[in-house]
Amino acid sequence: MIIEVENLKKSFGELNVLNGITTGINKGERIAVIGPSGSGKSTFLRCINRMEELTSGIIKFNGEDITSQDCDINLIRRHIGMVFQHFYLFPHLTVQQNITLAPVQLKIMSQNEALDKAKYLLERVGLADKLNEWPDKLSGGQKQRVAIARAMAMNPEVLLFDEPTSALDPEMIGEVLDVMKELANSGMTMYLVTHEMGFAKEVADRILFINQGEIYEEGTPSEVFDNPKKPRTIEFLSKVLRR
Amino acid sequence: MTMRNSNNKFSRGDYFLWAFAVIILVLLFQSGFFTAEAWQDFGRRFYQNFVYQERYMMLVNGLRSTIFMTSFATLIGLVVGVIVSVIRVAHEGGVHIPVLNAIANCYVAALRGTPVMVQLLIWNFTVFASARDLNTQYIAILAFGLNSGAYIAEIFRGGIGSIDRGQMEAARSLGLSYGTSMRFVILPQAIRNVIPMLFNEFIVLLKETSVAGYIGIDDLTRAGQNIQALTMEHSQPLLMVALIYLVIVMFLSSLVRRLEKYLSRSKRG
Repeated sequence: MIIEVENLKKSFGELNVLNGITTGINKGERIAVIGPSGSGKSTFLRCINRMEELTSGIIKFNGEDITSQDCDINLIRRHIGMVFQHFYLFPHLTVQQNITLAPVQLKIMSQNEALDKAKYLLERVGLADKLNEWPDKLSGGQKQRVAIARAMAMNPEVLLFDEPTSALDPEMIGEVLDVMKELANSGMTMYLVTHEMGFAKEVADRILFINQGEIYEEGTPSEVFDNPKKPRTIEFLSKVLRR
Repeated sequence: MTMRNSNNKFSRGDYFLWAFAVIILVLLFQSGFFTAEAWQDFGRRFYQNFVYQERYMMLVNGLRSTIFMTSFATLIGLVVGVIVSVIRVAHEGGVHIPVLNAIANCYVAALRGTPVMVQLLIWNFTVFASARDLNTQYIAILAFGLNSGAYIAEIFRGGIGSIDRGQMEAARSLGLSYGTSMRFVILPQAIRNVIPMLFNEFIVLLKETSVAGYIGIDDLTRAGQNIQALTMEHSQPLLMVALIYLVIVMFLSSLVRRLEKYLSRSKRG
């Protein structure tokens, strides 16, 4: 397993958001995390690269405990890419600089290597002509595709997607999902928090249904979507799939 | 641009005209403008104050000193302000630097909580009391610089605070350290946001240096007083000094407004 999560708990003050989650992801696996708002699915994702400090529990990356004091989280994060709901492109940098900043600053690539990588990735997300564009000149869908390219520039072993299409206009969602599908088909290991049930069903190997900070039900897409067993899952799916 | 800003009653040019008109009227009224005798008197005193023995050069040199002090003090303020604000922000962001943070907090509290003139006097007559060879202008630059550093630190803190925390998260998620993220992602955006406020700080400082005369520096204000002492004339030199400050400040303010407009237009979201 690339990532193992053992009894992960997270609370914000009095509020318990995650109440002991134990799960993991294998290389090449694509896991979609679904559930009602406020169930803790984004917090779960953000704990994996310690964007959120966990309250208790253990997270292992390639067998190494990344919650221990000795672990340099910056080194781990190089291998775990993250894509945010609101893109968070760096507005003072061009598309190319957004993508090359981290690999060059971390001395993983030379400027030229990083530039070649940026060109290759932009080609892959269908934005080859936007190399020297400023982020504010891009549409939401284009921004998110650049954000994916930026995360890919570090050659991560896992990608974490935190509701990547939730802030997009409906007509922009498709282009981002296409890019993610292409990544999935290329064997990328992915954790995806999403409300796009159709996409989750099509792309994911496994579905985690999180409710009230616990993995309430999990299984293959057909198990969870077509034959949900537990009442809360049935209720949730009946509401979101009716649309 | 000739278009009027609909929010303002007067355009920039109008303000200039009004300011000039008021100052000149004051000058004229106090000299008893309406008699020929007064006219001659005004002219004679103007000659005495500014022309005779090239006394206008005292104002020119004073202005030079004022601008010199203001510029270098702003530079010191910028450097100190950035360092202090980054220390305080980093501390709030979870970087463990309690001693540095305490020093930074004391610095800001002390220098913002006391009058700049008292600080200037303390630097000159207490801290550097035994360093009589030191050019007092350097002492003034240090005093004004450290003073404005405390204000600039607050400006920067606000600027950094105005950047979406997602920017830091995005940078950190790529494996960049806190410091690298701050330097390449947060600070460039924060600085851009606060440039107009930094220019304002320069304008404030330009006026604040008018107390430099208290430690014997012939700045613009003191130059006016020096002319007063020579000519026993009380109005014209100081009104002239005020006019010079006013013109410079209004000019710089108009630059700031233009800059604000430019920055807001090209702001990238």
